[in-house]
Amino acid sequence: MDRILEIGGFAAGYCGRLFAQSGYDVVRIESQSLNPGWVSQAASDYYLHAGKRRIDTTDPMLIANLASEADIVVAEAATADSLMKLGFNNWPTPVKVSITPFGATGPKRNWQATPGVILAMGGYTNLMGDPDRAPLTLPGHYPEFQSGAFAYTAANACRIANQENTIDIGMLEVVMALSQFTTVMWHCANTIRSRHGNDFWTVVPTNLFRCRDGWVYLNIVPTFWDAFAIFLNRPELLVDKRFKSNDLRSKNRDALHNIIAERIGGMNRSEIEQQATESRVPVGVVQTLSEVLDDPHLKQREFWQSISNGHLTIQSPRPAWKIHGDSTTELRLTEAETKRG
Amino acid sequence: MANGPLNGIRILDLTHVWAGPLATRILADLGADVVKVEAPTSRGPRSYGRVTPIGGWVGGDPGDEPYNVNAVFVKLQRNKKSLAVNLKTPSGRATFLELVKKADIVIENFSARAMPALGLDYSSLSAANPKIIYVSMPGYGMNGPYRNRVAFGPSVEPLSGLTNVMGYGPNEPRNTAMALPDPIAALNATSAVVTALRKRQQTGRGTLVEMSLHEGAAAFCGPWLIETQLGESVQCIGNRHPNMAPYGIYRCTGSDDWVAIACRDNSDWQALCATIPGSLDVAAGLSERVQSHRRIDQIIETWTLQYSKTDAAEILQDASIPAGPVNSTPDMTSDPQTIARNFFVPIERGPTAIPGNPIKMNGLSTSDWSPCPPLGADNHEVLSEWLDYSEEEIDALECSGVIVNRPPA
Repeated sequence: MDRILEIGGFAAGYCGRLFAQSGYDVVRIESQSLNPGWVSQAASDYYLHAGKRRIDTTDPMLIANLASEADIVVAEAATADSLMKLGFNNWPTPVKVSITPFGATGPKRNWQATPGVILAMGGYTNLMGDPDRAPLTLPGHYPEFQSGAFAYTAANACRIANQENTIDIGMLEVVMALSQFTTVMWHCANTIRSRHGNDFWTVVPTNLFRCRDGWVYLNIVPTFWDAFAIFLNRPELLVDKRFKSNDLRSKNRDALHNIIAERIGGMNRSEIEQQATESRVPVGVVQTLSEVLDDPHLKQREFWQSISNGHLTIQSPRPAWKIHGDSTTELRLTEAETKRG
Repeated sequence: MANGPLNGIRILDLTHVWAGPLATRILADLGADVVKVEAPTSRGPRSYGRVTPIGGWVGGDPGDEPYNVNAVFVKLQRNKKSLAVNLKTPSGRATFLELVKKADIVIENFSARAMPALGLDYSSLSAANPKIIYVSMPGYGMNGPYRNRVAFGPSVEPLSGLTNVMGYGPNEPRNTAMALPDPIAALNATSAVVTALRKRQQTGRGTLVEMSLHEGAAAFCGPWLIETQLGESVQCIGNRHPNMAPYGIYRCTGSDDWVAIACRDNSDWQALCATIPGSLDVAAGLSERVQSHRRIDQIIETWTLQYSKTDAAEILQDASIPAGPVNSTPDMTSDPQTIARNFFVPIERGPTAIPGNPIKMNGLSTSDWSPCPPLGADNHEVLSEWLDYSEEEIDALECSGVIVNRPPA
């Protein structure tokens, strides 16, 4: 199995997590922490760093030696220049992946960033939130985790081909590459996609509605309209001229929303889930984090992987994919070894 | 086909909508030989084109083949080949199973019951080719109590826990407006594919790989789910950050112009205090800044309102403070950074600039990329190259409507 050296923050950490969960030998250099995280250090460590050997060092010689012993190095840095200061270019590792906010080249290669800055510049923030209020950023580590997944994919692709290579991943481009239809909407329909709160806007009804004990998201694309009218127990909507097509439903959005709100408001989440499943309409209830942890579907699918530090065992998501025949084993979260040059 | 490290890896791509096609686009950008196996009606009927699709038409008009120029579809299909085959016919199914014998990967994101209904579940595929890697990505997975639920990214998102932290506050939840579980699932799929390929290099055997939109989104929420187990409270705090302050989106001079600004640490804060005139307390630590965030945000916005979003970001970046404009698409495509790195690729009709590949490395170049193929454009090439079918055999499949190069009337 390959030996992986991981240096950096949440992006490199996520890439290393994928390797560790796939059974690879991962060594993490702890001292190169970047932006503060969204959760406590303990929660971050449990999520990202189980199954890794962790070394706390700033010694460039030690890092270079570890890089020379590795098959893959994944190095994340705050800027292109700080990546070079690590000695990245000099390491002889067969596959080297750099992850920086803006990539290793270009006029903004040394700009400073947080996930919020990347999401703003990458076009996500402009789409989230209400039209008459400040746009919303996305909490969490989306730019970093997706960059880590690109790094994992690219590094493994090189190893599959037995190819030595140096890979440059910029988080801004990662986020832009994952735009839904914003870019073509501008180029081909001359429309700048804007934000509409919880409403997807071009497809009606798609919105978050209050129910008796929480919230529920309805995602009724046109092919599900008939089933949705039955789900609402309002079959007369199928012959209501105001709602005959998606265009007409858009024009009569408020009237339709009022009908839905009245019906949904009297139901609780479990009723909604049951009826949506029976009617085969795409509906999702808002679950609290505790409810996600107790979700029977995730439990039955053995979604949780035990992580233990010797004192406490918690449940962390296993890899988001499942290779049949492989079992999910408990991973150990170890303390970092301190090594000084 | 693009050059790249996955050259020689053959993928039969039955995916549709967003998550699956995005995954296979990434794999195609890395050089995989991706054949998009499409139903004759997968791009809509021949009469498609009366209603302009959400992303418009590549090239600006529907032309003679509107089903081939839906921009939202086209954007995800570069570097792929198209084989339009009706898998519901015995000949179509048999042809597909012949292709499976020559393939490395089959990937689909139908509902859990679609492939078994076609007689094309994993056992059927592995009987044809024991080395096949079959990647299935239904919304809720192939088993479990939710397996028969209908899933799209936006309806799955609330079940993941994300809606607890996304919004203007605890009583004002918002969804992400972009079906976030889909791009997350796409990267999970590419990661799964390379993992399974490496495993096959060791074992020589194929495998069934399964994932779901739901689990990908829940895994993204992992840090909050662990924080909850550690007894910590996780709150929706709008545009703020629990461990950075200030952190927010601030209004600038334009009608809807905003800039994102963050202070990661005391050093950033001191630089901000030196840049923005006013009564900011340079000695304030993180907890004090969190406590007085409203006052600090007001002072910052009084300053940003004097500048365009680009100017505000550049002034702050000059002081090494993380800042960036809230960009719309025209801002993104005209950003000197994306231009310098040739990120947007105008290979489609128009030309339409499509987001490129964020993986930069030797051996990858957009110069050998190919645009989205028309429906069934590669029927002959795929069947002759992969299966050695003669022209007569291919013509017979065409005559019987098993393979097509335009939708049925």
